[in-house]
Amino acid sequence: MTGIAIVGMSVLLPGAPDLQSYWRNLVNGVDSITDVPANRWDPAYYHPDGIYCRRGGFVDDHATADPARFGIMPSSVAGAEPDQLIAVRVAAAAVADAGGDRRLPARDRIGVILGRGGYLTPGLVRLDQRVRTAEQLVRTLDELVPGLGEAELARVRAAFTNQLGPARPESAIGLVPNLAASRVANRLDLHGPAYTVDAACASSLIAVDHAVRELATGRCDAVLAGGVHHCHDVTFWSVFAQLRALSPSQRSRPFHRDADGILIGEGTGIVVLKRLADAERDGDRVYAVIRGTGVSSDGRGASLSSPDPGGQALAIRQAWRAAGLDPAAGDSIGLLEAHGTATPAGDRAELATLADVFGSAPTTEPAVIGSVKSMIGHTMPAAGIASLVKAALAVHHGVLLPTLHCDAPHPALAATRFRPITESVPWSGGVRRAGVNAFGFGGINAHVVLEQAPSAKPAPAAVSVAEPVRVLRFAARAPEDLANVLAADDSELLAGEAVAGGGRCRLGIVDPTPKRLALARKAVAKGVPWRGRGNVWFSPSPLLADGGGLAFVFPGLEADFAPRIDDVVDHFGLPRPGAGGDDLCRHAAGVLGVGRLLDSALREMGITPDTVAGHSVGEWTAMITSGLLVSEAVDEELTAFDPEAFQVPGVEFATLGCGVDTVREAITDRPDLLVSHDNSPHQTVVCGPPDGVAELVTAFRKRNVISQVLPFRSGFHTPMFRPYLDPFLDLASRLVIGRPTVPVWSATMAAPYPTDSAAVRELYVRHLLEPVRFRTLVEQMYRAGVRAFVQVGPGQLGSVIDDTLREAEHLTVAANSAHRGGVDQLRLAATALWVEGAEPDFARVETATGPVRLDLGAPLVRIGTRLRTAPGATTGSQSTVDGLADLDTLAADSPIAAELAALLRETEETATLLISRAAALPCRLSTTLHVSTAAMPYLLDHCFAPQRDGWHDEVDRRPVVPATTLLRFMADAAEKAAPGRRAVAVCDVRLLRWLTGAPATDVSVDVVPEGPDQVRVTVGEHCAAVVELAVDYPAPPATPLAVDTAGETMPAVTAREFYDKRIMFHGPAFQCVTELTAVGVRHVRGVITVNETPGALLDNVGQLLGYWMHATQTTGRMAFPVRIGRVDFYGPEPAPGTDVRCLVRIVSVTETDFEADAQLVVDGVVLADIACWRDRRFAVHPDTEPAYRFPEHNGLATRQEGGWFAVFEHWPDLASRELYLNKYLSSAERIGYEQLPPHERRGWLLGRIAVKDAVRNLLWDNGSGAVFPAEIFVRDEDGGEVSVVGHHGFRLPEMAVSVAHSHELGVSIARFGRAPVAITIKHTPADVDRGHQFAVVHNPPDLPARQYIVAWTDGPASWDQEESE
Amino acid sequence: MTTTEASKGVILAELENMLRTVLSEHGMDDAEITAETSFHDDLELESIDLVSLARLMAERWGEAVNLAEFLAEKDLDEVIALRVGDLVDYVAGTLLAEAGS
Repeated sequence: MTGIAIVGMSVLLPGAPDLQSYWRNLVNGVDSITDVPANRWDPAYYHPDGIYCRRGGFVDDHATADPARFGIMPSSVAGAEPDQLIAVRVAAAAVADAGGDRRLPARDRIGVILGRGGYLTPGLVRLDQRVRTAEQLVRTLDELVPGLGEAELARVRAAFTNQLGPARPESAIGLVPNLAASRVANRLDLHGPAYTVDAACASSLIAVDHAVRELATGRCDAVLAGGVHHCHDVTFWSVFAQLRALSPSQRSRPFHRDADGILIGEGTGIVVLKRLADAERDGDRVYAVIRGTGVSSDGRGASLSSPDPGGQALAIRQAWRAAGLDPAAGDSIGLLEAHGTATPAGDRAELATLADVFGSAPTTEPAVIGSVKSMIGHTMPAAGIASLVKAALAVHHGVLLPTLHCDAPHPALAATRFRPITESVPWSGGVRRAGVNAFGFGGINAHVVLEQAPSAKPAPAAVSVAEPVRVLRFAARAPEDLANVLAADDSELLAGEAVAGGGRCRLGIVDPTPKRLALARKAVAKGVPWRGRGNVWFSPSPLLADGGGLAFVFPGLEADFAPRIDDVVDHFGLPRPGAGGDDLCRHAAGVLGVGRLLDSALREMGITPDTVAGHSVGEWTAMITSGLLVSEAVDEELTAFDPEAFQVPGVEFATLGCGVDTVREAITDRPDLLVSHDNSPHQTVVCGPPDGVAELVTAFRKRNVISQVLPFRSGFHTPMFRPYLDPFLDLASRLVIGRPTVPVWSATMAAPYPTDSAAVRELYVRHLLEPVRFRTLVEQMYRAGVRAFVQVGPGQLGSVIDDTLREAEHLTVAANSAHRGGVDQLRLAATALWVEGAEPDFARVETATGPVRLDLGAPLVRIGTRLRTAPGATTGSQSTVDGLADLDTLAADSPIAAELAALLRETEETATLLISRAAALPCRLSTTLHVSTAAMPYLLDHCFAPQRDGWHDEVDRRPVVPATTLLRFMADAAEKAAPGRRAVAVCDVRLLRWLTGAPATDVSVDVVPEGPDQVRVTVGEHCAAVVELAVDYPAPPATPLAVDTAGETMPAVTAREFYDKRIMFHGPAFQCVTELTAVGVRHVRGVITVNETPGALLDNVGQLLGYWMHATQTTGRMAFPVRIGRVDFYGPEPAPGTDVRCLVRIVSVTETDFEADAQLVVDGVVLADIACWRDRRFAVHPDTEPAYRFPEHNGLATRQEGGWFAVFEHWPDLASRELYLNKYLSSAERIGYEQLPPHERRGWLLGRIAVKDAVRNLLWDNGSGAVFPAEIFVRDEDGGEVSVVGHHGFRLPEMAVSVAHSHELGVSIARFGRAPVAITIKHTPADVDRGHQFAVVHNPPDLPARQYIVAWTDGPASWDQEESE
Repeated sequence: MTTTEASKGVILAELENMLRTVLSEHGMDDAEITAETSFHDDLELESIDLVSLARLMAERWGEAVNLAEFLAEKDLDEVIALRVGDLVDYVAGTLLAEAGS
């Protein structure tokens, strides 16, 4: 048959979240069998006479998914069968392993065929509980206790179904079994056939057989084949227990003489298959080739539980016939991955089959037999794929793998040519070939023959697998939040999640140890960047996120060239570059090849440069990887290049540890010596005849300058190479010049390469004859905005970049290093870049732990407390007492009824007490909150950007849900999830992201019980809190907090002025401060009059804090809550109109935060205590406050002499920039802003502000009233100019405007009429155009010292002049 | 304790200080630097770092302590295998020779 190549694989199996960990487990013989987790089936089922076994293989620890990545709504996860999400995850990983999406053939030529049984999977069990069990429960109760009444039964049903989580009728579709395959096709957008097959334990291999046929007939060009099984339902276990097939000794011991049964496992495995010819054509990595498949049934040969060797042999012979091979030949097979279930009947039958088909006498070495079930249990429909992946890995790596627990082999083994092994050994000898068995219940048999790929690597000399280096990554909003995370114990951090938190302030630790954690804590505490020493990276203001550029820098030839790329080649399935070598040509080819390989690997990880450069011959790598040189053509040239024709001068290089000036001075009278490389302030390379170089080196060493003669000769980068140039001139003429994807820098010019191909060729030649000006190159790249340099190769190039940029903030990181495995070093580089704000695809190099943990179990429902009848709850015609009478009659015959009667009687007796305790445990609850100004009209009184009345785009107002309103919603949701109880405290309120009411949006509010009296509530990604519940409010503190009134002063404004002057931006619905009583050094007092707006009461506490800031601080007075430690309520919110006295005590004031405690008191009784309310301060410059508070009357830009306007960027960070952005941009302009690359946004915004303010000032000057920034719409015109029109009905006279921006300055000029105006920013007065006026402008003192030359055209500046014309 | 051992202890402490300067790790990394600490594997020092170290050593102990010449006698493998203790021995030896001359 046609050879079918396995080009990609992935698994989720017990102990193995991915292919790499599966391989490590297989090589190391890891036993992944454990006790059944309690959530899979209830420990109560375990009984020596019932389900007598409780060990098996489970994937719960690794069963996470990232639904969002596949466009699946996180809220629909709970309703779906988890195996579908696992199948999507594993399929995506298998595709990635095959080289990713772009390597796939056309979508309509890709199929998905998965083995899957129709068992009682967790989703179905939950459906059954809701639909049948709930009904069964109340019907049985009703029959036993006829008098219970409808209401009581409804309570029972509700108590039961509440535990199942919210009903999601829309998710019922997710329970249809074939969706395991269909969802894969759907989410990965594959259009070939997608279906599941069920052949019990043979399912996976039957799926592979189907796939082989789809490929052989040509209907598909690629098929994802495998199996899915995640059913540990107790019914499933019960079947195997009743069959006595489970191991009584609770051990999985295939082919052990005393093997006594199976252990049940679970898992998913998927392989990507292509025709071998296609795979070779496409350059795919081929793990193994499927040479043949065979499928048969036992017919009448077997009973249901005892398999038939005849049927099995049929399938195996069929497969080997398809392969055109004789199974009995002496060298036919090296490894047989058996079905090997460890049941006595199964093992016996299989061994008989093997002896029959493969013969008995080992002519040479015995072949190895194995069964992965000894490590992971029997994964049922996924068993075949677990075996196939294992065998393919063994064939690929050339390693024979061990089987566990087979210390006393089955006697029947002796009659076969197979033996199990206990440790991994290299698989030496001829062609590596393996057979894989999977036999299904009921007599369905399948076999696959695998063979090594035509280009397989030889078996290793020794077997070893390394654990990947562990990496911890933490993110938070600010260093102090990171410090809080790091405050946990070392052991907790080291054992915790590898990736935690979100935010722009990031920390990465490679190979974390307590020592490295201590280093990280110190760096974070100091808040200073730390870049790589001690394997720690920390960046409080990330370079790339702040708009810095990323450069790939390719090393050239260095004294030591020891790349570590074997695992990189293997991991990414990339072609292996040439080995390198001692002679110059091979050395250079090796450097080039390694650079290109690492460039591909980095790109696979989603790390792409903004610009590229290289050192010496590394510049060629940069030219190739960027596309400046067309790589296919280069490959041809390299193949054709004759090393014999290539000669170099007999001159030597020496590296000198000092700057170029010192060297030049030393060689002024030595014309034979030339500087070939100016690498950095402390490294220069000279070139010249060996004697002269040696002399110079000796002299420099005498001067204590570390110097080294390099172990290769080329004469490159000096005129001494000119006589040898011909082959390169020839090459240069034939090179195909392409369009680079990113700018390529020339170290000859210390500038980017030209675009003209003749100029490129010329520079290519000059590069060989002129010095490498690497120091200047790095300085220029830095000047052009590059902040992160990735050294794309091994060696020390990064250290000379560091030497050059010593004082300037930057990151250098090597993508390859002698110190670490290749893939580990790539992860390290990715971590370093992530810390600076890059978003590498870590899933390519580490196990992707999705953010959502899948619940694979469907445990027995537990209400938690006994549900007792409360008389008040009974609404039926019969009282419980009547019901009890009936029950007593029944009790005469029924002990259950008697027990119930006794229980109910007890209830009756303590009824009063019970009413107060009747509440059930809190349940999970998910609701959707519709957020809009229609649903929450009060949001229009909580807008960040005021607009004209009747402004028709509400989005421009930025109506934001107040933090305290969210707090109220979270408390309400918690109460809903715990009927009968009140939210008495809301703790650890974290405000993560603004929630705006326009455009309208839906967010999910999720309540998850954390204990009998505690729930965690989240509102989408916006906020989270823990809510404490109790039947009654606790007693308030006996006396309110005392206030030291001695230092108090009278507030300078009244409560009314407080709002009218927009010290607070709130509208009427949130204006509840009715008295500003007094302000002290560390406190403020006021009266809040309760209204009906949800959250208004607590919001006004924040407003009082705001007043204190306003009254006592001069800068950073704008602040918003980010966290509230705890709010304790001692009673419900008072009726509207009630006066609440509020005391706010300031706990701490730092540059970035305010923290306060507060207390609310009504009529001398404490209503609530608020602790650790933290506001984040925004860097709002005092000069900008008028524009912030009354943007319709004030601008940020200021008038300059000459009638133009200038605005300085007084918002140092993104968060404060956002405040102004909200005020200035309409939603349409905001879209324009967000479409810009991040580094262009600053300047663009400055320009927009300048134009709008120039226009508004012109209007104000001419008698106009309020003009809001959003009313001026600024359009881009050709040539970088802009024009303005009135927005949303605002009438704007005809105007000409011009704008420019540079660094922290934006300038604009506006004049009435059509006559063009111009304003520009120049470097020097000499650049100013004729006819323009100019002025010198300096940054204000709080900004970096900078000077600008602003030039502008003069023109009429008033309405009158315009009209008089 | 002999005088030489004592002075070696001092030299080690001073070298450790210089290495922390070179690595800009002052007050941050408490990683112990001992005589056994390897320049390449443990400290991951690169050529350019040695240039700074050479300067610091000469500043402290005079021009006779010449790291460049010390390293000149070593091939690449020896440089990679270099430990802090080797440098301590070299400095102690040089200072002793100077004192004797």
